[in-house]
Amino acid sequence: MKFTDTLKGIGAAAVIALAAAAPAKAADDGPLLVVSGPLSWPFFAAVKKGFDDAAEAYGLDYQYIAVTDTANMTSDYPRLLQQAISRDPKMLLVGEFFPDGMDPLIREATADGIPVLIHNSGQTLWEDNGSIGFVGEDPYQMGYKAGQIQADAGVKKGLCFNQVPGNPTVEERCNGYVAAMEEAGAETIYQTIGTGDATNPQAMTQAIKGTLQANPDIDGIYTLNAVPAMSALRAVDEVGRKGEIMIGTADLSNEALMAIKNGDLAFAMDQQPYLQGYLSMLIANQYLNYGLHPIGHVKTGPLVIDSSNVDKTLEVNKAHGGVRGAS
Amino acid sequence: MIKSVIRRPETGALAAFILTYLFFAVATSGAGFVSINGTAGWLNLAAELGIVAIPVGLLMISGEFDLSIGSTVGAASMIVALGTNQLGLPIWPMIGVALVAGMVIGLCNGLAVVKTNLPSFIVTLATNFIVIGATMGFSRLIANVTSSSIIASDSAKFVFAARWGQANIAILWWGLAALAGFWLLSKTVFGNWIYATGGNLNAARGAGVPVERVKITLFVATGFAAALVGILQGIQWNSGNATYGMGYVFQAPIVVVIGGILLTGGYGSVLGIVLGTALFGVISTGIFYTGWNTDWIQLFLGGLLAIAVLANNYIRRLALASR
Repeated sequence: MKFTDTLKGIGAAAVIALAAAAPAKAADDGPLLVVSGPLSWPFFAAVKKGFDDAAEAYGLDYQYIAVTDTANMTSDYPRLLQQAISRDPKMLLVGEFFPDGMDPLIREATADGIPVLIHNSGQTLWEDNGSIGFVGEDPYQMGYKAGQIQADAGVKKGLCFNQVPGNPTVEERCNGYVAAMEEAGAETIYQTIGTGDATNPQAMTQAIKGTLQANPDIDGIYTLNAVPAMSALRAVDEVGRKGEIMIGTADLSNEALMAIKNGDLAFAMDQQPYLQGYLSMLIANQYLNYGLHPIGHVKTGPLVIDSSNVDKTLEVNKAHGGVRGAS
Repeated sequence: MIKSVIRRPETGALAAFILTYLFFAVATSGAGFVSINGTAGWLNLAAELGIVAIPVGLLMISGEFDLSIGSTVGAASMIVALGTNQLGLPIWPMIGVALVAGMVIGLCNGLAVVKTNLPSFIVTLATNFIVIGATMGFSRLIANVTSSSIIASDSAKFVFAARWGQANIAILWWGLAALAGFWLLSKTVFGNWIYATGGNLNAARGAGVPVERVKITLFVATGFAAALVGILQGIQWNSGNATYGMGYVFQAPIVVVIGGILLTGGYGSVLGIVLGTALFGVISTGIFYTGWNTDWIQLFLGGLLAIAVLANNYIRRLALASR
């Protein structure tokens, strides 16, 4: 008898729990999900800060989904996206970093009526896969702009140093850089590094130093992140060519900004990650409430940070850590 | 005499180092690879990896792996960064905290392996995820960042980031670690215990070797060395980053195996580990001085690893045949 009493008790509790849960389920038609980049990168920490601030401003609840282990991102991201879609979200905000695996899934989601907004990567695809828009930068244009700046400054042989070979978005920056340099009649070298060394600044320094030694006519370097930019500064110093080689980078860090202030680094390309997160959440709010959204590509970059505007960026970093994507 | 030289664990690594160095000396002619600055370059790279590779190698001789070193490096750098930059604490106590944290991670690994008898490969792989996850979680909780600047004093900069010409003080630390490892393995009773533990665990236990203490001590040493590398890198590059050191997770066992240590334990030498690390430094740096397309770099390293393992396997059979 005791056992059946317990069963009855459990049954009653379950009925009460179901009754309590039912109205909540009716009012809420699925979660608001964000599939975006790894938070171990300061860049995506700034994107998330944008999402967080906007979500708070508009009273939205959302979940941020990302890999923690960056070794197999090409296969991990489609898997994460698939899991997000299977939860039938009311809206999906996606960084389309690996289009080959992710684009077919986005097509499925939009065909099923899930509204999708793309941010950060996927600028050429959003119109075809049924998503409502794109917020971010065009990595090719970011590299292209860097190439133009260096060619205009008289660089004759530029090095594009890629610390994450295999990442198509990042490779596009080098493609853009190479194209702009070649259009201006300058030579280029495209250099990669072993995949295990992407987070080892010492290995990057030695790689750039060796490349400069093997090619003494290099007079410009473009790095794809602020950490290799610091390695490039040291390598140039070590081969005794400080001041002769123009160094520019994609993305920011406090150190990179200080180097711009000191004149060691010529420029940093800011794609304004905070804006990517904030504007995406703003658009999601307007879409969910009123069915409104901007038409076309909302560009957040590249904003060129050089000696003319570096002070403001540093000020913001001090007062509002993480907003400018650097700390 | 010749036979005994061939049977030394470091012989294969020494031969490979000499051949590879000569190869790059010729292939990079004129690019300054063999100059003092070029030499400082590959030594700087090898030193940071080498400091952690020595205890990892001793641990492998005792029959265990440690794959948690990668995240321990990053965690130590972030502890110093968060303490000095976000909390405004002085750097030396934070260095102490980081080193203790590294040893605590090692102690947890050691206790978990000894108490559960699970393969250390799995246990420390789990720790690797736990530590990097904890580092990121706490960093975000405390300061909403996952990388942060480090504010170092002059004394800390001297001890961990001093440079002579282009040579880093890390090279001296590497030398110290090698001497300490050599002394421990070759001159002390504890060294014999390490070989015995990895050679035949049950026989060692029967002979009264405190195998559990040996393993736990080596795990603690590995955690300490990984934290030291995190501090060296953090102060050198003025910032902590949770992902520093991730490459070492596999690079450290690779250089240890190239240096002649058997994956099954019980055999190897500190000189071998040092030579394996130096060889790794020469290849991964030298290839950039050649001006070749570096997409191929991992093919070189992988090929070398395969050759080293085959050679070591052959040498072990020779050594066993003579018993």
